[in-house]
Amino acid sequence: MGIVIAVISGKGGVGKTTATANLGLGIALNDKKCVLVDFDIGQRNLDMILGLENRVVYDMVQVMDGEASVKQALIKSKVNENLFFLAASQTKDKSVLDSEKVQKLVTELKEEFDFVILDAPAGIESGYEHTIEFADAAIVVVNPEVSSIRDADRAIGILDSKSHKVKNGEEVAKYLIINRIVADMVQSGEMLKSEDILEILSIKLLGKVPEDKGVIDASNQGKPVILDKKSIAGQAYGRIAARLCGQKIEMKDVEISDSGLFKRLAGIFK
Amino acid sequence: MQSKQYSVKVYETEIHDEKEFINFFDANHTLFKDHLLVIHGDLSSKIETYLNEKSLKYLHNVNLPKGRTRKALEEELQSEKVEQAVSQEIAQQELDKLSSRLQNNLTVMDEMIRSGRELNIAGDLLLLNRVNSGATINTTGTLIVTKVVEGAIRCHGNFMMLTASPKANIIFQGVEVDNKLLEDRLNRVELKNNEIIITPVLKKEINWA
Repeated sequence: MGIVIAVISGKGGVGKTTATANLGLGIALNDKKCVLVDFDIGQRNLDMILGLENRVVYDMVQVMDGEASVKQALIKSKVNENLFFLAASQTKDKSVLDSEKVQKLVTELKEEFDFVILDAPAGIESGYEHTIEFADAAIVVVNPEVSSIRDADRAIGILDSKSHKVKNGEEVAKYLIINRIVADMVQSGEMLKSEDILEILSIKLLGKVPEDKGVIDASNQGKPVILDKKSIAGQAYGRIAARLCGQKIEMKDVEISDSGLFKRLAGIFK
Repeated sequence: MQSKQYSVKVYETEIHDEKEFINFFDANHTLFKDHLLVIHGDLSSKIETYLNEKSLKYLHNVNLPKGRTRKALEEELQSEKVEQAVSQEIAQQELDKLSSRLQNNLTVMDEMIRSGRELNIAGDLLLLNRVNSGATINTTGTLIVTKVVEGAIRCHGNFMMLTASPKANIIFQGVEVDNKLLEDRLNRVELKNNEIIITPVLKKEINWA
């Protein structure tokens, strides 16, 4: 029996889908069976970032409607045999989802996989509510800026009131990924510090991902950045995936840039 | 100590011209024998010796108290007494209201109020956690928040207690509170004569040693 994790953010464009793709691949690289489900119905992106857009035959809406079986719709990753993908429908809209269908699909996937990762749509509408409804845990992705934090706060509030688990008196575990951190801007006070973000959201920190130009190119190529051993964002996703698989890996302080360290050392020897 | 009270007639005048002044008193000094003169303006030595010669009592450059009728005085005293009684009564009523509310209708919460949440509390609220940006709290009674407020709060109670909250939107009894005035400690916010009064309550650091 696996665990269902919803990747949420509230605000769009903070890197939710990129995080989903990288964590999925990272988990698979740790020899765990993982499936990624794109819940952003009508605006699917995850297939492109995984480089699987040509392989989509059936989507998850067809599975839920009984037009195809889960086995038929699952797409195996080209890079790792532990990673599978279930695409969103590009032609339908969010209204096709209902609680019963979602629960049936999620339960079925949970039996087959160690990790079921659901990529939530941006916003807090019905599509979002269906994504979080049957999740055991949530990963909240934010950027170090006030609008992202406030939207994430709202999304967490809805998670805490609409989740199936919470309604049964249990708690949904919530983890935070701070994405696109620019060390120099944090040091100069232009960007929010991790401590301040944690203070506002008060959930557990899962990892910090620095800003990395390589991410855009990796997404365009359909090869998640975690595959690039030299990329700092890729390394950060590697650490986060390992933490999700139960390894104890210390937080790396990506808020101190190397150049900043050199400047400080130079200051000492002046 | 012994003291006596006299009623004195006062004649008040101002010196413009020495000659004119002496001529006037030469003609009328018998009329002023029982009067106290209050003189303004330049008092030359010539006039001084003149007044002493005529044994006239005088004060120079003294401002006299404005006279009031007995009736006006009595009315004033009466209204003061009434005002005092009314304000005492109001204070007692407010105190009764406050104590009954605090005992009967106090909500205590220790959860973070996240963005998008709207809390409507009938009565007093003691909140031991943050109010995040985008959240709203309305109370009919007293509001006490012990952590930072970044959302909007509307309080209609007797007072509020808040810590420094530079991002908050605070409206107390319909009046917007300037959040820059809140110091980095617990502050008491009250409304007196349509004016917001902010008083720091607890010291920033308590020294237990």
